[in-house]
Amino acid sequence: MTSDLNLNFLKELEREAVLEVLYRDQAMRKIEEERVRKLKMQLQQLRWKGTRSVSHEYQERSCARCHRPLGLLLNRGAVCNGCSHRVCSECRVCLNPCLWKCTACYAHGDVKIKAGEWFFEERAKKYPNEGRHETVGAKLLKSYQKLSEYSMCSYFWTLHLQELCQTKSFNKSVENLFLSLTTHMKKISKSQNDMADRSHLTTDYGQHVEKRKERRSQSDTAINITSRVSKSLYSVSGTVRSVWGMQSLSSSHFLCSLNSTCTEYGNFGKANVTGEIEFAIRYIFKACVLEISIRGCKNLAYGEEKKKKCNPYVKVYLLPDKSPRSKRKTAVKKSTVDPEFHETLKYKVEYPQLGSRQLQVSVWHAGALKTRVFLGEVVVPLAAWNFEDRSAESFSWYPLKAKVTLGFCHSSKLLVSARLSVPAQDKNFQLEKQMREGPSLQIDDLAVLYLFWGSCLILPDQTEMKQRSPVLKKEVCPRWKHLFVFGDVSPARLQQSCLHLTVWDQASLGASDRFLGGAALGAKESFGLRDPGSEALLQWQKVLSSPNTWTDLSLVLHPNKERFKS
Amino acid sequence: MTDGDYDYLIKLLALGDSGVGKTTFLYRYTDNKFNPKFITTVGIDFREKRVVYSTRSPNGSPGKAFKVHLQLWDTAGQERFRSLTTAFFRDAMGFLLMFDLTSQQSFLNVRNWMSQLQANAYCENPDIVLIGNKADLSDQREVNERQAKDLADKYGIPYLETSAATGQAVEQAVGALLDLVMKRMEQCVDKAPGAANGAGTAGPEPPAPRGARCAC
Repeated sequence: MTSDLNLNFLKELEREAVLEVLYRDQAMRKIEEERVRKLKMQLQQLRWKGTRSVSHEYQERSCARCHRPLGLLLNRGAVCNGCSHRVCSECRVCLNPCLWKCTACYAHGDVKIKAGEWFFEERAKKYPNEGRHETVGAKLLKSYQKLSEYSMCSYFWTLHLQELCQTKSFNKSVENLFLSLTTHMKKISKSQNDMADRSHLTTDYGQHVEKRKERRSQSDTAINITSRVSKSLYSVSGTVRSVWGMQSLSSSHFLCSLNSTCTEYGNFGKANVTGEIEFAIRYIFKACVLEISIRGCKNLAYGEEKKKKCNPYVKVYLLPDKSPRSKRKTAVKKSTVDPEFHETLKYKVEYPQLGSRQLQVSVWHAGALKTRVFLGEVVVPLAAWNFEDRSAESFSWYPLKAKVTLGFCHSSKLLVSARLSVPAQDKNFQLEKQMREGPSLQIDDLAVLYLFWGSCLILPDQTEMKQRSPVLKKEVCPRWKHLFVFGDVSPARLQQSCLHLTVWDQASLGASDRFLGGAALGAKESFGLRDPGSEALLQWQKVLSSPNTWTDLSLVLHPNKERFKS
Repeated sequence: MTDGDYDYLIKLLALGDSGVGKTTFLYRYTDNKFNPKFITTVGIDFREKRVVYSTRSPNGSPGKAFKVHLQLWDTAGQERFRSLTTAFFRDAMGFLLMFDLTSQQSFLNVRNWMSQLQANAYCENPDIVLIGNKADLSDQREVNERQAKDLADKYGIPYLETSAATGQAVEQAVGALLDLVMKRMEQCVDKAPGAANGAGTAGPEPPAPRGARCAC
C-alpha cells in the first residue's frame, strides 16, 4: 500500500515541512523504542528469577515465581492458565473475580499493552505482508533517504556510462567526463573538509598536464586505468583515488586529442554552413600568450538536420600547425544553435611567429558516438593583425564559412638549391638538390616533431624516382643540408618532368607519417591544378637553363597532401 | 516532554474536510489556546500531550493511574495530500473524525472519510469518535444534532459537538476516544490468555512439562 508512496509529489517547501515532521516523529520513535526495550528487559529479569528454580531439584513443591514451598493441604498453589506453572497465591494478579494470572504472565501481557504490541498484532492481521513495527513515517523517511542516495548513484552511473562510451570511441567528449569528475571530486573534498587534499588535487593536475608529453606512449593503457579508476570511484569515493582518476584522465584526454585530429582529414559530416561566431583575439606581450576569447555563436545550422539536433563546440587551430598541440576546444553545449561558450583559449607563442600564423576557428557538432559535423569556420591570418592596437582586442562577429580546400596559403617556405650538373664528357645528367633549410617552417609546437623530407622526381613516363632525407629530431627551424641526387636523366626529359618535395613528421611505430606540406617544381602538372603564375615552372626552367650552377629556390609549402606524390 | 517516562504511547489521528478545524482543535487540546487564523496543514503534522489515565475497576472505584503519552496526528484535509494522509491512517490507534457544524458538505463527506478509514486503518472497525466542530457558531449552523447523532449511531461511534474557540467538549472528545482505545487494548490482550506461553521471545521460560510435575 505504502510501498510506492514517496514525497516526490510535494513542492520543495512542502517536502521540507513534511520532512521536519517526519524527523520529529523519528525522534519520538527513538524514545519509544528505548522505553520498550527497558520494559522487555524488566520482563526478562522477572522470568530469569523464575527459571533459577530449574537448577534446583524438583523434589520440592514450590511456587514457580517466588520459590516459596507449597503445602499439601494449605497454600497448595494453583496452575496458571497462561504458563501452566503452579504458583502461590501471592504471585497472582487478579484481573477479575474468576480470572487470574501469575505475575510473569501478567507482566508479559502488561508489556505487550505498554509496548503497543496489541496494536501491531491487530494490524498484522489486516496487513500480513508489511513490516510489523514499521511506521509510515519511518518508511517515508527511509525511501526519501534512499532516493537521495539514488540520485548520487545515478551521478556515478552517468560518469560510468560516459567512460564506457569513451572507451568505445575516443572522440566522445572526454572533457565533459573530466569536468564532471573534477566537480564531483570537489564535492567529495568539500564533504570531507580536507582542504589540503583539494589543493593537492589542483597542483597534481597541473603537473600532469606537463607530463602529458611523456605519457604519450602510456596513453593506450591509460584508458584501462581510467575505467578501473572510475569503477573504484563508483564504489568507493575516496580522495586518494580521485587523484588517480585525474592523472589517468589527463593522459587519456591527450589520447583523445590525438585521435580527434582525424576530423581534420575528412572524417566528418557536413552541414549547411550558416550563422556567425563572436570572439576576440589579443596577445599578451609580457607572457607571450595569444588569447582567443570565444563568446558564442548564433544561427548555427543543425548538426543533425532531421532531428533538429545541435551540440556545438568550437575548435581552434593555430595554423599551419595542425597537430594536437595546436588544438584548443571549448566545452560542448547541448541542444542549441545559439550557444554561449565564454571560454578563453590560450597559446604560448612567440610574437614574431604570429606573422606566419593563421587562426582557424571552426564550429562542430558533437553527435552521438564519435560523429562530428562541421558547422563552419573562420580563418584569421594573424600577419595582418595589429596586436598592439587595443581596439582590435574587442569582440566581433565573424560569419562562418564553409571549409576552404585551397584557401590555405601560409608563408612557410622551403629554401632549396638546385643544380643541373652536365658533365662535358658525359651525356648523363645529374640533378643535384640540396635541401638547405626550411627557415619559414617556424612552428614552435613542432618541438618534438621528427621531420624529414621526401623528394620525388616524376618523369614524363610517370616513373617516379623517390628519395628521402634523414630525420631531423626536434628542430624548431630545421636545416638539413641534405643532397638529393637524381642521376641518369636527360635534360630533355627533365624539361617535362616534375619534382615534388614534401615535408613530413615521422610518426612513432605503427602509425603513418603526418604530412606537413609540399611544393612542386616543374613543367608537368599531371594531377590537375597548377600554381598561379606557374612559379613552379619558371623556377624549374631557371634551374635547367643554368647547368652546373646552384640556383636558390624559395618554394611555398602547400598543405594539400593529395597534390603530391611522396 | 519527550522523555520515556510514560506507560502507554497512544497514537490518535484527526481527519476530516479541509477547514473543519482539525489543527485548531488539536491546538486547543494540547495547548489550551485558540488560533482563529486558518493556516492550511502541509501534508501531515503531529502534536504531543502527556495525560494521566485512570482505569475504572469493575466495582466503580478508581483503579490504577497510567501515564499516557498521546501523539496526535494532524492531517491535511486538502485533496492533493490525500495519498500521503491516508497512508498515515494505518499507524493510528484511534481517530477523531471531524466535520464543521456550519458546513453541510463537510458533514456529507463524513461517509467518504469513513470508507477511507475502513480501507486504510489498522483494522476494519477502528475506534472512531465523530466530532462536530465550531459549535460556538450557532447562528451559522447547518448540521443539526439529530442528523449527526443518527449518523454516529449508524456507525456505532460516539458523537460530540465541540468548539475549539471556546474549548467546549474538546477534552471530552479526546478522552472518549482514549477510553475506547484503552478498552480495545485490554480486550486484545485478554483475548489471548495463552500469550505468555506462546511468546517465542521468552528465552529462559521453563518448558511446560514442569507444570505437570508440580501438579498435586
